Amino acid sequence: MWEKLRRRWDDLWHRDRLDREAREELEHHLEMEVARRVRAGADADEARRQARIDLGDVEEVREHLREGRTGFWLESLLKDLSYALRMLRKRPVFTTVCLVTIALGVGASTALFAVVDAVSLRPLPLPEPSTLVKVYDTNSSIGVERTGVATGNLVDWRRRAEGFRGIAGYYTMGRTLTSGGESDVVLTSQVTEDFFPLMGVSAALGRTFTPEETAASLFNTAAAPVGADPVVVLSHRLWEKRFGADPGVVGRTLTLERRSFRVVGVMPSGFAVPGPDVQLFIPWSLAGEEPRDQHYLSAVARIAAGTTVAQAEADLRTVAQALGREHPETNQGWSAELVPLQQDVVGDSGRTLFVLLAAVVLVLLVACANVALLSLARALERAHEASVRLALGATRPRLLRQFLMESLVLCITGGVLGALLAMAAVAILDRTQPSVPRLDEVTLGLRALLFALGATATATLISGLPSAWRWARAEATPDLAGTPARVVGRGEGRAWRDGLVIAQIAMAVVLLVGASLLVRSYQRLRAVDPGFDPRGVLVAPIFLDMEAYGRGGKSRTYYATLIQRLEALPGVVSAGGATALPASPLGPDFERPVWPEEIPNDPRVRRPAWVRMVTPNYFRTLGMRVVKGRGFDPRDGPQSPSVVILGESMARRLWPEGNAVGRRLVIDYSTSGTYPYDVVGVVNDVRFGGPRTEPRHEIYLAHAQRPYLVMNVAVRSSGDPRYLVPAVRRVLKELDPAKPPHGIQTLDDLLGATVSRDRSAMLVLSAFASVTVLLSLLGIHGILSHRVRERTREIGIRMALGADHHRLRRWIAGQAVKLTLIGIAVGSALAAASARAVSGLLFGVSLTDPAAALAVACLPLIALVVSLHPAWRATRIDAAEVLRSG
Amino acid sequence: MATEKLDLLILKTLALASLHGYGIGQRIEQLSGGVFRVTLGALYPALQRLEKDGLIDAEWKASDNNRRARYYRLTAAGRRRLAAEMEDWERVSAAVTRILKAT
Repeated sequence: MWEKLRRRWDDLWHRDRLDREAREELEHHLEMEVARRVRAGADADEARRQARIDLGDVEEVREHLREGRTGFWLESLLKDLSYALRMLRKRPVFTTVCLVTIALGVGASTALFAVVDAVSLRPLPLPEPSTLVKVYDTNSSIGVERTGVATGNLVDWRRRAEGFRGIAGYYTMGRTLTSGGESDVVLTSQVTEDFFPLMGVSAALGRTFTPEETAASLFNTAAAPVGADPVVVLSHRLWEKRFGADPGVVGRTLTLERRSFRVVGVMPSGFAVPGPDVQLFIPWSLAGEEPRDQHYLSAVARIAAGTTVAQAEADLRTVAQALGREHPETNQGWSAELVPLQQDVVGDSGRTLFVLLAAVVLVLLVACANVALLSLARALERAHEASVRLALGATRPRLLRQFLMESLVLCITGGVLGALLAMAAVAILDRTQPSVPRLDEVTLGLRALLFALGATATATLISGLPSAWRWARAEATPDLAGTPARVVGRGEGRAWRDGLVIAQIAMAVVLLVGASLLVRSYQRLRAVDPGFDPRGVLVAPIFLDMEAYGRGGKSRTYYATLIQRLEALPGVVSAGGATALPASPLGPDFERPVWPEEIPNDPRVRRPAWVRMVTPNYFRTLGMRVVKGRGFDPRDGPQSPSVVILGESMARRLWPEGNAVGRRLVIDYSTSGTYPYDVVGVVNDVRFGGPRTEPRHEIYLAHAQRPYLVMNVAVRSSGDPRYLVPAVRRVLKELDPAKPPHGIQTLDDLLGATVSRDRSAMLVLSAFASVTVLLSLLGIHGILSHRVRERTREIGIRMALGADHHRLRRWIAGQAVKLTLIGIAVGSALAAASARAVSGLLFGVSLTDPAAALAVACLPLIALVVSLHPAWRATRIDAAEVLRSG
Repeated sequence: MATEKLDLLILKTLALASLHGYGIGQRIEQLSGGVFRVTLGALYPALQRLEKDGLIDAEWKASDNNRRARYYRLTAAGRRRLAAEMEDWERVSAAVTRILKAT
């Protein structure tokens, strides 16, 4: 056994020595024979000649012995490799086209896979991510779905719901951070004491909050927490950006909304709960008396081991029902809903990305089919070569291997280039794109590289097999004297070629249908009237703090002055403010129960309404219409009667007869009581969440009568609003130097952001579809040209016999149309089967939209045009020359 | 000559004494009375094959005329194989002979 192994080892590593020894042995043999003959009386030279004839050639046997050794395959593989490289170098155009095609295909699909992997496939970077859920309040009786949790219920939930390891709450808002003489607004999250333990992540530096620190912090909805010795935990990003990654940052102080906070810890990088933009964490105690009907808390929970999400949800609902019986005035009808945290974070973008990934894989397949067509054509050109080599004694597997080696070299090089492209793409990826979550986690890791490997292997198989198949079936009895035209002209491999082109067209049809549906859908989205005019409007969020503005109507004065100064700017038509702007994620956005005063306060007639505080010129600035009654004006001050303006659908819901103006509406502020308001006007509905969403039931109050610290100001410009940015910044700075201007942007951009995913999906899919259509047209062109070439003789003879050009052209065009039509039939079936995947991305477009059919119907026409060139070439065939050469 | 038959003859030759390649060829020719002539192209690939299968073994030794030569000898496995093959061959050849002699 040992001997055998040693021999194999020798075979592998001492090839040259073995080869030398074989020669020595063979020559020894020969010399002995010669010596014998000489002894028998022959002449030395003659004896040598005769011995050679009788015994055979030393070199040939040596060659034979070499092939018999272990590891010979390696040697021949290297030979095949160098042969393949030589052949590829000889045809630089073919090689370049194939390389670029495969590199682009593999690169694009790998990069997209890396994104899909990071966004949807990889679990959240937290311990036991599958047990984390987001908790929402719902109330189907009044049509409220997935809203924030009421803080008052959280304590009961924690105590009474089984199936949870804990339920933590947090609330996120912008606050002004000052440190090292620099001020800006950062997103901060105030978190309950169990937040960090529940996430299972501890600080990278220092520590998270102690129970004492949490207990010491009191919460006030609109401002920073107050209490003795307030503390903060920094995000890793803020630590790097604002504190230069100083390891001694723990114990230092920073100023948040004019109060001094002590840093106790820094979170590790990659900790992105509640979101990657959150820069600071503040402790938050919910121990006091909390309202049960203010649904603004974000809640995240860990379900207990061995409990399913459904069980935990059922538990929580039982508790919610019990609370509804115990506190009917606030909890009637309210229930809870659990959403796995990963699903909550990824949302709809996962689906969009999957569609794009599927699309890019189709592009890759089509690209490979093109490479296959190219190499098939080459295989046919080289059929002659194959025949000759078979006749010279090459074995068929060896030939096949050689040919596969070429496509392997092409695909591996293409794959490596593709992986490099993907790396570059991931490196320059725009990670700030707000419409896709978790982009900051995108890396080109092992999984993406494995995907690239798979893509490359697929490319190798698809692009190499058809031609290898053809190559391996080369005739062993070549017509050695044959002209290339005759060797090629056997029409073999035609089924492969037709199949490839049909498959290409089918995939092009699928992408074309998908892309045209998305284009139509995006057009529809952009055509939706949002209920306001975003053009020419600049917006800026402003977070005033409790310390400086919390008392004595100071915020009222601040905003009144601000609006006045903004309106005084040249080029400004009007300015206004609202607690929450349409399409903007910032600002207090909450709903309260309301009812007409003439109906007594009965829980069954309570309607939730989204409440916004606005300044007088807000409607005008946003381009909204006052449908009935009047808008707000400066008369609506703190001393005058409280007034309310209703959104149209809210007015219709409360007073279906249409006589809302002049009535009185009661708003329930929960712990702070219920108040009646005079309805003075009705304005048109707005699609608050962007064109994809339905209008909500909204009511507007005068900011002067109910001042809020946080507002979004809007400025309507007579020209391009971007020119106003410096002036607006200046006004803000002058008004309060401690409040740095931030987040100034156009309302158009804000609205565009709500449909930016639709836009990117449409653009990307359209690009993919165009590439595929182009590739498949190239495929048709190639196949027709080839067909003309392989029939040169036949065409020449026919023309010599008087066939007319017209029929020839018709034949070629017919081929093009036939292939296209079959491709369309197959593609339409595939498109219908895959339509469900896209339907979730569509807005107001049915799958049978004529645009898709129209786009597909153009294909045969384009194919006809493409066929013109090969047809023209066919008519140029010189009959006389063909006859002479044949 | 069929390869199995040559393998059998090589094993048989080596059962008597260890020999170099030329010696094996000579011995087969002599013993067959000149009926079999062994070429390089048949002999050496057969030796390589047998060596790979572990039936024979080889080492470089000085030959009679004081030159270096590769001497082959039978291994234990080779001896077992030879016995089996010979028994097989005798049975087959006896059967073939009976058929050919039948009238």
